[in-house]
Amino acid sequence: MIGHMILRNILHRPARTLITVIGIAVEVTLVILVVGLTTGLLTESAKRTEGVGADIMVQPPSASIWAAFSGAPMPIRIAGKLKKLNYVQAVAPVLVQFNSVNGLDIVYGIQPDTFSGVSGGFVFHAGHGLEAPDDILVDDVYARAKDVRVGQTLHILGHDFHVAGVVEHGKGARLFVLMSTLQQMSGAIDKASIFFIKCDRSDHTPAAMDEIRQLLPGYEIRPLKDFISLMTSSNLPGLSAFISVMIGIAVAIGFLVVFLSMYTTIIERTREIGVLKSLGASKSYIVEIVLSETMLLCILGSGFGVGLSFLMRWVFVTAFPSMTILILPRWVMFSGMIALAGGLLGASYPAWIASRKDPVEALVYE
Amino acid sequence: MANAIKIILRADDSILCGEIAREPALEPILKTESLWKVYRSGKVDVAALRGVDVRVLPGEFVCIMGPSGCGKSTLLHVIGGLARATRGRVLLDGNDLTAMSDAERTLLRRHKVGFVFQKFNLLPTLDARHNIALAQHIHGNGFDPHRFDVVVDLLGLRQRLHHRPSELSGGEQQRVAIARAIVTEPKILLADEPTGNLDTKSSEGVLSLLRGLNKDLGQTVVMITHNPDAATYGTRVLHMRDGLVVNGSALH
Repeated sequence: MIGHMILRNILHRPARTLITVIGIAVEVTLVILVVGLTTGLLTESAKRTEGVGADIMVQPPSASIWAAFSGAPMPIRIAGKLKKLNYVQAVAPVLVQFNSVNGLDIVYGIQPDTFSGVSGGFVFHAGHGLEAPDDILVDDVYARAKDVRVGQTLHILGHDFHVAGVVEHGKGARLFVLMSTLQQMSGAIDKASIFFIKCDRSDHTPAAMDEIRQLLPGYEIRPLKDFISLMTSSNLPGLSAFISVMIGIAVAIGFLVVFLSMYTTIIERTREIGVLKSLGASKSYIVEIVLSETMLLCILGSGFGVGLSFLMRWVFVTAFPSMTILILPRWVMFSGMIALAGGLLGASYPAWIASRKDPVEALVYE
Repeated sequence: MANAIKIILRADDSILCGEIAREPALEPILKTESLWKVYRSGKVDVAALRGVDVRVLPGEFVCIMGPSGCGKSTLLHVIGGLARATRGRVLLDGNDLTAMSDAERTLLRRHKVGFVFQKFNLLPTLDARHNIALAQHIHGNGFDPHRFDVVVDLLGLRQRLHHRPSELSGGEQQRVAIARAIVTEPKILLADEPTGNLDTKSSEGVLSLLRGLNKDLGQTVVMITHNPDAATYGTRVLHMRDGLVVNGSALH
C-alpha cells in the first residue's frame, strides 16, 4: 500500500520528481566522473610508464612517482655505471618535462638508441624517428586528439618542433624529443629525471635492484611490474583532498535538492498528512512514507546518474580522445550509496516535521 | 425501546446536555465530563469548550448543531482524539483520552474512530479503491477483501473504485470517505459537516446513507451540521453555544 501511495505521489508531480531525480543524478554523475577522470588519468599514465618496457625505474632520493614533478637532478653519467651492473641489459636516461601549452602533457627527452634498447623501439604509424634537433614524435592518440600530422609544426614548451613521426601510444609519454634539445631548453645539461633499466631476465629484477641500491643508496628504485598499484590518488599531493571536496560538493547538491523537494512536498501535502493522522497513522508511518519516497527518488536518480555518466564519458572522450575516464563498478555502487545517504539525510528533517504536524491544523490547511 | 429524555443540570440549574437513552442499562460509548478546550491565541486564551458534558450511547445518531465558532468542531476533534482536552475527561469506549499520550490516542483513532469531513479529504493521488483500502492498511490487519466488498456494495461504489477523487462527484467522494471511515468497523463515526460541500440531492443521499448505517448496522454516529434538515436524520440533537451544550432533544 505504501509502495502504491509513493508511486502515485511521484507520478502526481512529474516536474518535481524530474527535478529531484536530475539533482540526484547530477550528484551521482559528478562523483563518478571526478573519480573516473582521476583514476583514468592515473591508470593510463601508469600503463604508459609500464609500457616503456623497463623492469626498473631509478629516480633521485625522495622523488615522486609522478616523474614530471621531480625535475632533472641526476647526472646522466650514472647511466654508464648502471649499465655495468650485473643483470642489467640496457639503461635509458629520460629527461621529463611538463608541458601546459594547449593542454597538459608529459614530454620525454630521450636518446633514441638507449630508449629503443629498453623499450624495443617505436611502432611508427607515419614518418620517421628523431633525427634533427627540433624533431618531435607524437603518439597516435595525441595526433588524433590534436589533429597533428607529420611535417607540421608543433609549438611545445615555448619552442617550435617539427613533427617527424606518429608512433603507437603506450611508451611512457605522448610526446618525445631529443634529450639534448630538452636539456638545452630546460638548462639541465647532462642531467636526467629517470633511468629506465631493462634486466637481462625479468626474474633478475630483485637482484638488479639490490645492486642498484648499493650503487645509489637513498635513490628511489622501483620495479615497474607493480607500478599501477602505486599510482593512486593518495600518492599525488592534494588529489585525495580534491576528490573529497568534489564528493562533498556533490553530496551537498543532492542533500539540498532532496531537502527542498521533500520540504515543499510536506507543505503541499499538509492536509493529506492530517488525513493520515485522522486515520490513525503513527509518526513512524508518516516518516516511513517520506523516507521511502526519498529512497525511490534516490534510486531513480542514481540509475539516471549512472546512465548520464556513461553518456558524459562518451561525450568527453569523443571531444578529447586523449582523455581517459574509468567508470569503476565499485564507485558506481559507492556513488549510489552516497546519493541515498545524502538523500535520506536531506529528507529526515521534512519527515520529522511531517510526523509532528498537528492533525487538526493539518486538516484545515489550505 | 425505552425513549426517555434526560436532562442533566448543573449546580446553577443551567442545562448542560440532554440525552436519550435507548437502553437505560447501556454504558455510553462516549462520555465527556466537564470538558474544556482552551486555545492560546497570541497572548490571549480562548476557551472553545467550557465544561461540556455529553453522553452518547451505542447505536445513537447524535447531531450537534450550533452557530459558527460555538465549539462544535473542537468538540468533535477532542472526542475523536485529534486534539487534547485542556481539562475534564473524555471516555471513549471506556478509554480515557485525556490520560493518553499522543501515540495512544493515535492507536485509539486507528481502532475505534472513523472520521468524515466536510471537504471529503480523500488522497487526490489514489483512486477510490486505494483510498478505502488505505484505512485498512493503517488499521494494521491488512487488506480484508470481505469487509471491503461489503462496504463498497453497501455504499454503491463498485463501479467507481478505479476513479480518482477528481473524477468523482461530490456525493461520490463523500461516499468514498464514509466507506473509508467504516471499513475498519469503528466504534463511533464522527462526521464534521458531511453535507457542507454538497448539493441538496447529494446531501440527502449521504444523510440517508448515514442513517442507514446507524439503523441497519447499529453504527454509532456523531454528526455536526449547520443544517436543521440534516439534523432530522439523527436520533437526537444537541445544541451548542459559546462552548457549551445548551439543550438537547430526542427526534426518533
